[in-house]
Amino acid sequence: MLKLLGAALIISAATAAGWFQAKQYANRPVQIRKLILALRRLQTEIQYGYTPLPEALLRVGEQSGDPIRPIFASAASQMNAPFNYTAKDSLQRALDQEWKGTAMKTAEKDIMSQLSHTLGTSDRQDQFGHLATAVRQLENEEIVAREEQGSYEKMFKSLGLLFGAFIVIILY
Amino acid sequence: MDQSWLSVFPDTLRRLLAKLPESLFAELEEIRIREGRPFEVNAGGRHQFLTPDGEMTSVPSRAYHPDKQDTGRLLDLLTNHSLYTMEEELRKGFITLPGGHRVGLSGRTVLAGGRVEHLRDISGFNIRLARELKGIGDPLLPYLLDFRHQTVLHTLILSPPQQGKTTLVRDLVRLISGGSWRHPEARWPGKKVAVIDERSEIAGSKFGVPSFDLGPRTDVMDGCPKSEGMMMMIRSMSPEVLVVDEIGRPEDAEALTEALHAGVRVIATAHGTDVEDLESRPVLSKLIGASFFQRYIVLYRRENQLLFSVRDEQRRRILGIEEKEGRQRA
Repeated sequence: MLKLLGAALIISAATAAGWFQAKQYANRPVQIRKLILALRRLQTEIQYGYTPLPEALLRVGEQSGDPIRPIFASAASQMNAPFNYTAKDSLQRALDQEWKGTAMKTAEKDIMSQLSHTLGTSDRQDQFGHLATAVRQLENEEIVAREEQGSYEKMFKSLGLLFGAFIVIILY
Repeated sequence: MDQSWLSVFPDTLRRLLAKLPESLFAELEEIRIREGRPFEVNAGGRHQFLTPDGEMTSVPSRAYHPDKQDTGRLLDLLTNHSLYTMEEELRKGFITLPGGHRVGLSGRTVLAGGRVEHLRDISGFNIRLARELKGIGDPLLPYLLDFRHQTVLHTLILSPPQQGKTTLVRDLVRLISGGSWRHPEARWPGKKVAVIDERSEIAGSKFGVPSFDLGPRTDVMDGCPKSEGMMMMIRSMSPEVLVVDEIGRPEDAEALTEALHAGVRVIATAHGTDVEDLESRPVLSKLIGASFFQRYIVLYRRENQLLFSVRDEQRRRILGIEEKEGRQRA
């Protein structure tokens, strides 16, 4: 009886792990899309709204929802008092602190990290260009992410269950 | 003094400034940062350099030399991380901070059609700390009163830069707006004052609200070209007294004449060391020739004192600096 209970536990844990992994593959393109939309909104705030960066990040973050909001909100708060970090440092730190909470990978993080070097430091036209470049790069990543979702999402879902069953068989 | 302006400095520079003796810190007027060159401060009218230990020196080579990282961080903090919101400011060459402090900038200009389009590679900063010295206008105001019409006379205030012109005008606005005439026989209420603050210096407005006390009946048009602003104010805000900083362009004279016809009293300032100086300047000489101004004030600064002389519309001396000295600066 105890054995049966253990076997059920192992199978359900492995299945959950598989599902979680599959979910990450499913979430990544969705989150990249959200990030792209957020950067487009930021473009508008800068180009037409003349909104200062901390305020623009907060506003866009609110509109974009999780997991974009914590990143942008953290960057904005570090730009303001009492931290007063530069725009670059604030965004880098926010990425380091909050990126774990997303399903996105280092490729997307690198794009954001590159963006941090120029964000807020030039005129509107220039900012528009830099944001447009980041959006284009993210769109490429989105395509890759969708392909990976297609090939791995289902696989991980079933793999979890199968792996659980495999361990149970070995142990039994 | 309010020290919020310190937050625009990157850590390295802020630490140096924090090491200054308190008496000197309270007298700070200008902080000059030039990339790769000595870090300079001006306190109480004296220019000196700051060493990496926070000591004052007159030897440039001993001074701390801010590097590219320092100036980059300073610019980032000055612009609230948003250089793109400051395009107009960069074109004009200065940024106004909360509290009315002003930061002059120098760098490389980008031209478009022969006009300055943008400022880039910004490497020189001059942070001018604004002071609110209440009462500095007290000894002067009685000379500007028009008892017959119960208002103030058309006045031109002259001084070279850095002598406290703006500080004085600010205090005069506060007194006129509040009806504190500083004269036993002047017992009429405060006037509606309109300030055209083209360079955001008089009021130090942030988001349209003045940082300084300008009295209860003062309207401020912030960042507006003077001539246009004067016309807008006359048309829309029915001012009784109009205050403008640094007149000198042909269109200013036109707007001033318009104000005269509208029955509005004008207090204006201009750069100059004496009334005779003005004759060589086309616009101002025209205004003097037309006897527009009824009072001319020339400001001097000796040590820490603000001194002034007053002349009437015929440019006769009513009060010389020898006769009476202005109130001591705080």
